[in-house]
Amino acid sequence: MLKNYLTLAIKVLKRKPLYTFISLFGISFTLMILMLLTSMFDAMIGNNQPVTNRDRLVIAPMLERTRTETDTIMTIDTVKLADANMRFDTSYTYEDNIVSNSNGPMSYKFVTEHLQNLDGAEYSAFYNDNSNIDGYLDGRKFSFSPYYVNADYWKILDFEFLHGGPLNEQDDEQASQAVVITDKAAKIYFGSAGASVLGQEMQLGKESFKVRGIVARPMSDSPLFAGDVYFPITKVDPRAMSDDDIQGGFSAFFMVASPDKRDALKKEIDFLSENFDMSGDEYYDAIKVYNATAIEGFAQTILQERDSERALRMLFIPVTLLLFLFVALPLINLINLNISRVYERKSEIGVRKAFGANSRDILYQFIFENLVLTFIGGIIGLALALGVISYVNANDLLGITRLSYSYQVFLYFLIVIILFGFLSGILPAYRMSRTNVADSLR
Amino acid sequence: MIEIKNVSKAYRTDTIETLALQKMNLSVPSGEFLSIMGPSGCGKSTLLNIMGLIDEPSEGTVTLAGQQITDYNGTRIARFRNEQLGFIFQSFHLINDLTVVDNVELPLLYRKVGSKERRRLATEALAHVGLSNRSTHFPNQLSGGQKQRVAIARAIVGRPNIILADEPTGNLDSRMGDEIMDILLKLNEDLGTTIVMVTHDERMAKKTHRLVRLSDGERVS
Repeated sequence: MLKNYLTLAIKVLKRKPLYTFISLFGISFTLMILMLLTSMFDAMIGNNQPVTNRDRLVIAPMLERTRTETDTIMTIDTVKLADANMRFDTSYTYEDNIVSNSNGPMSYKFVTEHLQNLDGAEYSAFYNDNSNIDGYLDGRKFSFSPYYVNADYWKILDFEFLHGGPLNEQDDEQASQAVVITDKAAKIYFGSAGASVLGQEMQLGKESFKVRGIVARPMSDSPLFAGDVYFPITKVDPRAMSDDDIQGGFSAFFMVASPDKRDALKKEIDFLSENFDMSGDEYYDAIKVYNATAIEGFAQTILQERDSERALRMLFIPVTLLLFLFVALPLINLINLNISRVYERKSEIGVRKAFGANSRDILYQFIFENLVLTFIGGIIGLALALGVISYVNANDLLGITRLSYSYQVFLYFLIVIILFGFLSGILPAYRMSRTNVADSLR
Repeated sequence: MIEIKNVSKAYRTDTIETLALQKMNLSVPSGEFLSIMGPSGCGKSTLLNIMGLIDEPSEGTVTLAGQQITDYNGTRIARFRNEQLGFIFQSFHLINDLTVVDNVELPLLYRKVGSKERRRLATEALAHVGLSNRSTHFPNQLSGGQKQRVAIARAIVGRPNIILADEPTGNLDSRMGDEIMDILLKLNEDLGTTIVMVTHDERMAKKTHRLVRLSDGERVS
């Protein structure tokens, strides 16, 4: 039966090359774009190295200090010109909740004193990425983005080490002259990212560091790991280490034991903020340490929105809506094309029913044919998408973000093809399966 | 055995109701070759469609092979058509994208017969109508008479008890018409298949066992 349907499906496609071309073009193009989007989202928010435990992360990029006070607001109501003088009529109001704030990353002192031993965190990573550093070699100068990170940083982020290994607690304690660099930085500085680079010295700023490890460049850009060179956290500018203020240049992120423990940790951080002793602060009266899950953090970064849940809503509602429209339009078009195509085969449906096919047989046949069509379109779309992905990645068209083509993307893609084929086929097939046999044969 | 009792068929539009059949009674015993004649629009094809369960009567009952069909649901009717009935149409209604032998296999496809057995039975049916050498051709490569022979092979491949033919010679010249008629007569004689044929051709009708004439939806003889 299926063989018969398949033969027929392919014949029908061959019979109307223009129709087939239009359908296939629509399907393959839509699926290509969908695959590119999926691939981009996967690169940005999928479980790719170094963030292989995305759903166990809680990030705390900065803290906000606030002062709430009552203030007098003067409003200019009217402006008049009288006898060559400007006259202002003004009114005054008293506002109770005038909030002034200051936000930014945290100080070394704050993160090590208050965020180091949170009950809910399995590991606590701190990093400082606040400057640029110059590298020197043989009279040449290179600019790198430095990350000063603690030992837990390497435990949470699962970098792909091409050679060597991470920095550890000892490096933090001793402020070792050691660095981990990306393959890109290795190629820029040494001209190679091979094992021979390990142990070599790099002149960075005024000091010299030994290369301890080389990591593969991550799939995408993220404030958590956008560095070229990673130093022990204690190699950061000494002024940043000894700063007594609570704000500074450090951000934090944590790994919890399992995704369901994220909320507890977030609450613990909120509790810490609410009960923070502000007596040492002359101006501000409260703090809030921002905390979010990885996906909320992603939405916050993109939208520059402070409220994590609002950011997530603002990002996903329009994205979902756009995706829906993007799929719905070609889908409706395909349904329309299918209706006219199926209608042309009215007599065939009549004959099949006259000789014993029931409505379900007809329904299955046309859905199957449509799946064949979408499958062919899918294969073309997949080939196109792979081509575009290679091109985009080879030429760094998306900056550091590189599109992924993992088996997961392929799996999503397969689901999309099946859904697309099913949805665009079911309505025309259903309509035709209900037709009266005598009418179809007239 | 076909038993049509008090069957009426009305087609309704918003403003007009047209009666295609009025209180029709007809009984066709097993093994009979019956022809139905009458002017265009007299209800011949409607009657045939109702006998073939591809149209429903507005009133009355249809009994086929001892089973009253009126209450059957869609799936049961489809199975009954598949097992008991074969159709031949004036305009052949072959599926142009399928080869001759695939067209002939069609009724067996809905009977869950294995592919080898399907092929064997279809080849046998094609031999019966003298078209063994055309099995891999496509309908568009055949003449009108050959197409109708393929349609007959398709109608008999499932060994139905009843064949309903709607002007099977209507689109053919007289020589080809005679050939088709001979095949149908032989089928009726050799296998005892009951055949009901709608025709405009008096000459063809005379070759059958019995002739029923309709006019304005009613039997006149």
